[in-house]
Amino acid sequence: MLKIEHLTKTYADKKAVDDLSLHILPGEIYGFIGHNGAGKTTTLRSVVGILQFDSGEIFIDGKSVKADPLACKRETAYIPDNPDLYDYMTGIKYLNFIADIFGVSAADRQVRIREYAGRFDLTDDLAQPIAAYSHGMKQKLAIIAAWLHQPKLIIMDEPFVGLDPKAAHLLKGMMRELCDEGGAIFFSTHVLEVAEKLCDKVAIIKDGRLIRSGTMEEVKGDDSLEEVFLELEDEAC
Amino acid sequence: MLKVLLKKQLGEIFRSYFYDAKKNRARSKAATAAYIVLFVGLMVGVLGGMFTYLSLAICRPLMAVGMDWLYFALLGGLSVLLGVFGSVFNTFSSLYLAKDNDLLLSMPIPVPVIMASRLLSVYLMGLMYSGVILLPAVIVYWIVGSASVGAIVGSLLLLVLVSIFVLTLSCALGWVVAKVSLKLKNKSFITVLISLVFLGGYYFFYFKAQSMITDLLANAAEYGAKIKGAAYPVYLFGRVGTGDWLAMLAVAAVVLALFGLMWALISRSFLRIATSTGRTARRVYRERAAKCRGTGAALLAREMGRFVSSPNYMLNCGLGVVLLPVCAALLLWKGGVLVQTLNAVFGERASTVPLLLCAAVCMIAGMNDMAAPSVSLEGKSLWLVQSLPIRPWQVLRAKLAVQLLLTEIPALLCVLCLAAVCSLSPAELLTAVLLVLSCGLLLALLGLVLGLKMPNLAWTSEITPIKQSGCVLIALFAGMLYTVLLCVGFFALSGWKLGFAGYTAVFAAATLAVSAGLYLWLRKRGPAVFAAL
Repeated sequence: MLKIEHLTKTYADKKAVDDLSLHILPGEIYGFIGHNGAGKTTTLRSVVGILQFDSGEIFIDGKSVKADPLACKRETAYIPDNPDLYDYMTGIKYLNFIADIFGVSAADRQVRIREYAGRFDLTDDLAQPIAAYSHGMKQKLAIIAAWLHQPKLIIMDEPFVGLDPKAAHLLKGMMRELCDEGGAIFFSTHVLEVAEKLCDKVAIIKDGRLIRSGTMEEVKGDDSLEEVFLELEDEAC
Repeated sequence: MLKVLLKKQLGEIFRSYFYDAKKNRARSKAATAAYIVLFVGLMVGVLGGMFTYLSLAICRPLMAVGMDWLYFALLGGLSVLLGVFGSVFNTFSSLYLAKDNDLLLSMPIPVPVIMASRLLSVYLMGLMYSGVILLPAVIVYWIVGSASVGAIVGSLLLLVLVSIFVLTLSCALGWVVAKVSLKLKNKSFITVLISLVFLGGYYFFYFKAQSMITDLLANAAEYGAKIKGAAYPVYLFGRVGTGDWLAMLAVAAVVLALFGLMWALISRSFLRIATSTGRTARRVYRERAAKCRGTGAALLAREMGRFVSSPNYMLNCGLGVVLLPVCAALLLWKGGVLVQTLNAVFGERASTVPLLLCAAVCMIAGMNDMAAPSVSLEGKSLWLVQSLPIRPWQVLRAKLAVQLLLTEIPALLCVLCLAAVCSLSPAELLTAVLLVLSCGLLLALLGLVLGLKMPNLAWTSEITPIKQSGCVLIALFAGMLYTVLLCVGFFALSGWKLGFAGYTAVFAAATLAVSAGLYLWLRKRGPAVFAAL
């Protein structure tokens, strides 16, 4: 579903991502772990086509992000670490805007908005301007918008930040649901317990370089993910 | 603390002079110096020059009849008007709507210090706007009139007092706007409506100013006596500039008392208004059948939604939307008299009057520059359009379409009214329409190119990209320059020899040629520049 090959991105004279390669298959929830500034967000933003990278290739469902960005974006949804949405729109206008861009039919969008907004207890607030939303409400709206066009691949940067426990639980369920239906999820997180329980595979990045990746069992063995992560961080130092 | 906050405020306002957002690095010293020289040139050379001319015209006649105080009262009043007009919305935005209010309030900074830093930046803006009138007036007075110690102290004190009074008035009006906007629904349109009423009054006064000044100069002694009798504070205000110590004391006391009152008033409500979420009554969502739109229509609706959601955006970048239909109506109503009057002045060339009217339409169309700040206004939500399956050109086209729709339709209406009033032939009508529409196209394209070349995505108050960015300033001046060039070509370069239809056709062709160049740049380079932001 997502193949990253030798991705390299440099800011000024600093390599934010250095020769990173990953392969995410349909049905997989793939966790992406690393300290602050390790290159997680740069990688995610490169995958969704926001950042232009220096070298390497990214393929989504076999299509190159460089050669055919629109086709890749049609299959993808992205939730950034800080959901800066259009404050001047109401929640429902925002969802309709996203649905228009992805060409979701009136009937489908109505059913999905009803379902997802209902799940996240956001229905009553959809007529409110986004400017009046709390951080958590914006995050919920961004999640609904991401699921609205039924993407094959969802990229999320710290998706659980700001969510209440119920919404976080719901999101985990939705992630599993999407992957059970053949989709894939690639997300970054600092919450290692969540990654350990939720992810099928995990990748650990430090200073832009991939230091370990594989199934959860391969990466952590008999230890906890936290222990392995801290150990690897120390080794790399 | 205050110094640090003020530095931050000013740094934000003048950020584009020191920082190149496109390259994400500081500008070179030479580039910064060039920007500052350009800004100072515009403020001092253009605006300052205009008011120096006005001061020179009225100073000597008023002094001749012993009405020095009236000179200062007039120009002081004018500078208060311009100062308040220029800074009232800036006050509202930077005092109550700044995005870093929450951040600063969460830090161990006393609330009065935050308020003072905001007010100081407003003060400096007001000082800039009022000083551009009063400073030339003071210098002219020293040269033409008196440069005694009293006059120097008095006129400088007047400058200071006017700037404080401008701050007081701006804050009072900004406070009213903030209070009202907390309770209003459809506040964007109501704010625009109220502002337009103010603006209408301002322009009414502005257009009447010339005849009023002529009348005043002819009957200065009579008016002076009347003002002194009926509005003694105005007399005292004017006397400050002439160096009257008693007037200086009295006016300074009143201005400072008013400022103290305003400070007390704002101190009591600043925290509540600044931390208010701006919520009105909560509207509960009721499901309705959704209307599907194509990508282009959805992007256009998004841009339109952005434009109408912000009074600042509408007022600063869309005045032409209102003024063009008003001009069309005025042409139909008073056009005959206007054409007659203009014919009496420029009668020897039949094509002069329609050309001047066309130039006026172009100038008003040039007041629309919503495309220029539209790129910067994407701000932190830029990631959305960059991650959606749309081409950058589609986004840019929607930005362009908003300005074209909101400018070309009312401009066309205006030209049709102009054609009816001036009895243009079909060929003349065609070229007039072509000229005005091509002007609208050129300015929209130029605005968007400038917006792409000079982006500022890291603003904390939307007033920064809307009002204080270089691209908006240049786009506005480009509109004026276009009008000037149109007239210069006609009058100074003998364009009139081609006749109205010939000259406008040639000028429209030249405009379209430049527009084509800008369009090609936007099509070829624009998407890549936008994608790389």
